[in-house]
Amino acid sequence: MGVSGEPTGTPDPVDKGFATLNTVRIGVKAMVQKDGELRKAEILSIRQRKDGPSFYVHYVDFNKRLDGPSKNTQKRPRAGSREVSATPDRLTGKNVNIGKVQRPSKAGGKENRGDETPRLSIGGSEAVSSDGTPKPESDDVDMIDIGFSETKAEKEQSKMSREQELERLRTSGSMTQNPTEIHRVRNLNRLQMGKFDIEPWYFSPYPASYSDVDMVYIDEFCLSYFDSRRAFERHRAKCTLVHPPGNEIYRDDNISFFEVDGRRQRTWCRNLCLLSKLFLDHKTLYYDVDPFLFYCMCTRDETGCHLVGYFSKEKDSAEGYNLACILTLPQYQRRGFGRLLISFSYELSKREGRLGSPEKPLSDLGLLGYRQYWRETLVELLIEPHREAFSENELATMTSMTEKDVHETLVVFNMLRYHVFPPPTLSFPFFLLSINKNPN
Amino acid sequence: MTRYGGMGRTRPKKLTSKASIPIVREQDIDIIDDEVQNALQQVETGVEKAEESEFHLQAAINAAAQGKVNEAHIPTPETVISNLQYDELYPPTFSQPATYIRFSSTVEDCCSCPYNMTEEDDVFFKIMNQKRGPSSRCTEDQFEEVMNFFEETAQAKQPFAAVDSPPVLSFQEMQDSMDAAVEDSVKRFSKDIYEHWKSRRMSNNNQSLLPHLKFETGQETDDSDPYVCFRRREVRQIRKTRGRDAQSADKLRRLRKELEDARKLVGLVRQRESARKEMFAIERQVFLQRSEVKEMKRKLNIKDDDEDLINQKPKKKPAEAPAVQRPAAPQLRMPPKAGTQTSDDLQLLEDVQAEKENEILRDIKQNIAKHVKWNEGYVDFTRAPLSPPPEKSFEAAFRPAITTQLPTPPSSDSSENMMDTSPDVLGAIALRDKLASHAMDLDDETSKLPSFRRRIGRGGRLWIDRRNLASRCRVDMDPLKADRFKFDQEDSDEEIEFDRDQYDIQIMQHRAIMAAKAREQAAAAAQAHAQAQAAQAQAQRRAQAEQSANTNNQAPTTGPTMGSNPGPGAIAPTAET
Repeated sequence: MGVSGEPTGTPDPVDKGFATLNTVRIGVKAMVQKDGELRKAEILSIRQRKDGPSFYVHYVDFNKRLDGPSKNTQKRPRAGSREVSATPDRLTGKNVNIGKVQRPSKAGGKENRGDETPRLSIGGSEAVSSDGTPKPESDDVDMIDIGFSETKAEKEQSKMSREQELERLRTSGSMTQNPTEIHRVRNLNRLQMGKFDIEPWYFSPYPASYSDVDMVYIDEFCLSYFDSRRAFERHRAKCTLVHPPGNEIYRDDNISFFEVDGRRQRTWCRNLCLLSKLFLDHKTLYYDVDPFLFYCMCTRDETGCHLVGYFSKEKDSAEGYNLACILTLPQYQRRGFGRLLISFSYELSKREGRLGSPEKPLSDLGLLGYRQYWRETLVELLIEPHREAFSENELATMTSMTEKDVHETLVVFNMLRYHVFPPPTLSFPFFLLSINKNPN
Repeated sequence: MTRYGGMGRTRPKKLTSKASIPIVREQDIDIIDDEVQNALQQVETGVEKAEESEFHLQAAINAAAQGKVNEAHIPTPETVISNLQYDELYPPTFSQPATYIRFSSTVEDCCSCPYNMTEEDDVFFKIMNQKRGPSSRCTEDQFEEVMNFFEETAQAKQPFAAVDSPPVLSFQEMQDSMDAAVEDSVKRFSKDIYEHWKSRRMSNNNQSLLPHLKFETGQETDDSDPYVCFRRREVRQIRKTRGRDAQSADKLRRLRKELEDARKLVGLVRQRESARKEMFAIERQVFLQRSEVKEMKRKLNIKDDDEDLINQKPKKKPAEAPAVQRPAAPQLRMPPKAGTQTSDDLQLLEDVQAEKENEILRDIKQNIAKHVKWNEGYVDFTRAPLSPPPEKSFEAAFRPAITTQLPTPPSSDSSENMMDTSPDVLGAIALRDKLASHAMDLDDETSKLPSFRRRIGRGGRLWIDRRNLASRCRVDMDPLKADRFKFDQEDSDEEIEFDRDQYDIQIMQHRAIMAAKAREQAAAAAQAHAQAQAAQAQAQRRAQAEQSANTNNQAPTTGPTMGSNPGPGAIAPTAET
């Protein structure tokens, strides 16, 4: 068992072995074909279709935004999967391992994947091998699993499954799908907004009926949502909004920033949050939008001010955050808008005369964006010609970044060095800040 | 050198945020000790722990660490250009204003009717319009208005339709809730569209046709339902009530009460005024009718005492008078009497004044009786001050003159000595306190003793003032009578000395002489005393009388030129005499 990847000592028995298509159920992990490669994946939902079951899977060690349907023909349940002998092919199955996977979450929208931590971390540590190079497909892991399962696991299977069966019958009362599982599965299929068709990344609590339609239409200006194209067109004929419903607070040749008060513009801000939840895993819609200000970045053309991205900010943050959620809409990503948003949030902090930091947790994209911004901001200061020395405190004050962020950025990018001085004899160190700037 | 070897030797000094760190450029140093010290420093990414290990993130972080920023890329699902007719849906109507946009309309303000036709509606809509003539066709907007009206009415009448699934509202109910605010078009088309709406509602389990977000319903399932969003935030903890808060709450409460009272008051005034108006009307009617009666009487030449022309109470005034007077009377602020005043208002001024006078007198008598009662069992010493008046000078004090037991009169060379000897002389009647005024310490016996004092007058003349010289009649006076005078004996220099020997010829004589001369001065001196007495006097006049009596009394005291001059105030006249 240890080999299969449960060294953290999870008490739950893990069955391994070969599963047939009929025995696959929610919570089962299987090797799934992904872009021509096999990846370990967890099955999050199963739908019965005419041509057989359709699986919605999460690829272990991939971000949830890459989750998606997998055709059963590609699926090859493998070792490391959960073997279950009970009736597997119902539309929605109950997770076998209730205690482990379910974690009642207070924040409906902010459910995270911490529940999978034990299993995921193992996979991660194996995939990213010691030399730091990620190895997505590790054949040895697979091979070991196979060998192991064939010898030992299969023998245990019969015994274990019976006990498990009994246990499950005893503990699981309801056959309905566990509600906390719902939000692990993306609920909207496609999104039409402005000139783009967008694939949503995560669950968002739009009306439940919207998960049945192929396309959800979003009005680019008022962000209202429609499940019917006709209704959307009718709405467009009536809607007069051409920019975010707030005050324009910044303008240059290309973009405008609007400040929208969550209390004043409740509907619009709710719409915005629903939309952004589609692309932010850890965003919570648990509470209402009243205590936030929304800073919306727009590009302008003759049809209006098109929302490109936004960040929200608590009107009064107890923990000194200068930003709560930040999003560049997917259709505008990878063009530097995110950096502009981040920079704008720090400009606001500078005007307030405070240091600020984004609310945690960051998403993967958020982390990259912030690190890049931090690095560039600090380097810009450090390469000023007449600068001889800096303290971290000075850097923080000039950038409105917190000292912690300054320090960590310096460390992460290897800019803060300890120099032994003078080299051979004295062991007393002093600080040397060298710029390890990579040209790009 | 291994990584840890290097670190072991040179422990990094703790870095403080204020410490100034020199900037060194890479080309300026020869060796970069890449026994990378920072390897020991753990840096939090701020990413959810479970996601830190994600493959693409790790790849991107590593790429960034190696400076290959462009390779630090995390794949995301693709977006594609839509095949929607964008230009039709989003007309190019926007022109940027020169100033920054300020905007506060809400989404609801901007998209008029919230109901939008669906494909399903379209089918029905076409059929409906086909039946109608070209002139009476329904527009899409009107259709939506009607549908929206149905939806809103249903929502208002069945707010819990989602929970208790009541039957679809009947058309009758719909019509009932149509009021003036509902547009004509809605009324016109509602009958046709109702069936369509009903069938759609039926197929939708009588749920709202517009999909709604799930808000909290207060049920327990709310918490675990991922669709429930935008909850109200918990009410922020109210701080403990401070004294100041309680105070302001009190103030507000009081203010509210006062406003309430004012409102009530105004209400009452209004009531009063309307009652008065009514009364005026009635009076006017009475007056008119009376004048008619009068006319009639004249015409018929009826002569009686015209009682029917005045108000009930027989008054001395002529019949016309009440009519004339009445309009004036209510102007006085006597609203409650307004109705009855006609009979009572003719009180005589004298009566009222007499009544008041009596009342005052009664009051005074009562007070006197009360004071008498209070003072029962007490002796009134108040004419002499309780505390001794300050001793003016040593010489001012009288000393008892007791000569009998001494072989020789006490030496008068030193006043101090005399003071000191006196206790010995007096024995039991000794002065308790040397500093205390002698006058006060004199008890019955001593006060009866003749006393004297020595003082230096103008021009250095030596004066000996005597007091309580034994008079003939005094000797015979029985102790009971003498007792009456025992307090009259008290003397202080300011106090007017009452000579008990008023009938002494000499004194009477002197008084006669002095009366004229001393009048003015005595009047001033007596003023203060008189005032004290006047306070107790019931009438000013009586006080005046007393004053004059005092003036008489005073004369002898100021008088005694030939011996006991009571006070310095009297010196001047004494000298003249």
